[in-house]
Amino acid sequence: MEEKIIAIAGNPNTGKTTIFNALTGTRQMVGNWPGVTVEKKEGYYIYKNIKFNVVDLPGTYTLTGESEDQKIAIEFLTSTKVDVLLIMADALNLERSLYFFTLLSEFHKNIIIVLNMIDLAEKEGIDYDISHLEQLLKVKIVKTIGNKNVGIEELKEEIYKRCKDIPSDFFIFNYGEEFEKSIKEIENNLPLLNFQYPKRFIVLKIMEKDEYFTNLLKDREEYKKIKEIIERIEKILKKPIEKFLIEKRYSIIHGIVKEIIIEKKKELKIELTEKIDKILTNNLLGPIIFLFIMFTIFHFVFFLGNPIKDFLEIILERIKNYFLNINLSIWSKSLIVDGIISGVGSVILFLPNIFLFFFLFAILEDTGYMARAAIISDRLMHKIGLHGKSAIPLILGFGCNVPAIMGTRILENKKDKILTSLAIPFMSCSARLPVYILFTGIFFKENQGLIIFSIYFLGILIGILSIKFFSYIFFKVESSPLIIELPIFRIPYWRNVIIEGWIKTKYFLKKAGTIIFLGTIILWFLNYFPNPQNYGTKLNFAGRIGNFISPIFKPAGYGFWQAGIALIFGIYAKELVVSTFGSFFGFENLSESLAFYFTPISSYAFMLMSLLYMPCIVTFIIIKKEVGIRWALFSLLWSLFVGWFCSTIFYQVFSFLKGG
Amino acid sequence: MEKLSSVKEGKYKIVDITKIGKLKKMCDLGILIGDIIEVIKPAPGPIIIKKGNITVAVGYGMAMDVIVEKIE
Repeated sequence: MEEKIIAIAGNPNTGKTTIFNALTGTRQMVGNWPGVTVEKKEGYYIYKNIKFNVVDLPGTYTLTGESEDQKIAIEFLTSTKVDVLLIMADALNLERSLYFFTLLSEFHKNIIIVLNMIDLAEKEGIDYDISHLEQLLKVKIVKTIGNKNVGIEELKEEIYKRCKDIPSDFFIFNYGEEFEKSIKEIENNLPLLNFQYPKRFIVLKIMEKDEYFTNLLKDREEYKKIKEIIERIEKILKKPIEKFLIEKRYSIIHGIVKEIIIEKKKELKIELTEKIDKILTNNLLGPIIFLFIMFTIFHFVFFLGNPIKDFLEIILERIKNYFLNINLSIWSKSLIVDGIISGVGSVILFLPNIFLFFFLFAILEDTGYMARAAIISDRLMHKIGLHGKSAIPLILGFGCNVPAIMGTRILENKKDKILTSLAIPFMSCSARLPVYILFTGIFFKENQGLIIFSIYFLGILIGILSIKFFSYIFFKVESSPLIIELPIFRIPYWRNVIIEGWIKTKYFLKKAGTIIFLGTIILWFLNYFPNPQNYGTKLNFAGRIGNFISPIFKPAGYGFWQAGIALIFGIYAKELVVSTFGSFFGFENLSESLAFYFTPISSYAFMLMSLLYMPCIVTFIIIKKEVGIRWALFSLLWSLFVGWFCSTIFYQVFSFLKGG
Repeated sequence: MEKLSSVKEGKYKIVDITKIGKLKKMCDLGILIGDIIEVIKPAPGPIIIKKGNITVAVGYGMAMDVIVEKIE
């Protein structure tokens, strides 16, 4: 089948994801951009017998080589043969969207502008003369309402046409005769470079003093001459070139928009958002509402998830009984029942909770609340010496620490990146949730939501204190300035939310089927040998290892070997803490057995340990990749110490209080 | 003329953004010199400003370099 590559670029909050989802449905995969750890979203659809591979580029407002996200977009658009580039435009903020278009038009020619959210614009009394705009910009424009699926078929048809019939006349931004001459002059002085960016694009970037592109040239002889030309132009302009370029682009765009805007009833008002914002970002109310929302989320994760979990447990038991009753050799039966079903099964049970967690978080994201959460946390972040934007990767950490650490890319400052990466492992990821659900279900049935909330809260607190401590010791640099857009509040769009929840859950499932599956087999092996008749006891390898390290945990109240080995396997993947207990006791007897070994106090101490004691292996590798081996090792040792210390202190203090 | 970091709620005109890096960042988000903005939430904490349909939160450090003028 013929294949085509389509890329989607655009500002954040222009409905990029919605359009991407509308085109590809669930035929998506999330991977990494080669060489870096920025998330790459890909998907495909088939239209008129052609397979269209769609790549969702990182959402940005501009294109500089200084930010990792934007560099990826630039690299991708220049190195890959992108057949059609879709540029998202927000009908409510057309000027800014077209500004982005002028930047992109410098190096990709086959463009379709997707004018999204036209319904909102119409509501505000705005309409645009689209065919006139198409003429002015020499591009095709498709109107869409992404969340109502309006315009998607037209868009597919237009993409198809554009692939077949590449236009010959393109939009070229004109900066004025004099300035265009200077661009040419620098172009002629440009040395032969070993990459494929269009010359004019590089020249403009160098004129803007983009650090990345300037550094590519700095050591070349020709650079001196180019610098002279730039200085000469600035003398004539009487202002920095970058300022001139911004003003020029916006003034031309402003003219264009003025020409094509059809009707404007009155000044736009989105008063509701404004009113809500006043409350949500209020210095006193904001944090209270934030905590309330988080608490509600955790409550729903159990309230709705637990009944489904109980149902899954019945099914799992059936499967287990089925295998127990068929004819198999003793060891293979043990491997399947004691190893795989008990191990993987005890993790799979938490699937409903995990899905709900991601689903509810996706709702927060889709409504626009996340950006507000960053604002609320900004003061706190500043107090502890971080950038306001650090709140976003930290919150992401509740889902999974790995993408959260990748998310520190949005921070421009190395110091913010390191400190945030050090704190993220203390953000309780969804893999640790099964541990809490299991233990609170046994020991704190009445206050399950509250207890788990307190653990998350302690994680945050310890993360914050660690940062404060380290920023005091290691760093004394200023943070880079904060500026975040607050998107308009809207009702979450169900398809985005469900797809987002599902894709993340799929990742969890995949992990259960691969990493955790493998882990449970190793675990089974260690439990089975060298004395098969004594499965899962002290006499076998697992028991011996557990027995060896368990004395360390005695002061924390869980100095028995099962807990020791569970924690060791938890380093591999945190879900395995539960799997390990499952493999010892069987998932159906888990509650009774754990109630025998733990007390409420020691179970809380154990949950604290599971929360804090170490980033899992994958997280460790990502930290190493992002900020270097030294910080990764440091993070490991620090969390190990903090985990043991907090867990022990908690157990000792509360045991004392209870005893006295 | 005042700094954005020290104004109260109300309508203002942006007169200048003194650091070129900060100017670039504001312009990327669609806030330009000469624009009329509304301050929705003043300091302490990030300052929230609005221009048309664009709402942006600006950190204190950033707001120190944004010079505004009260309107009316």
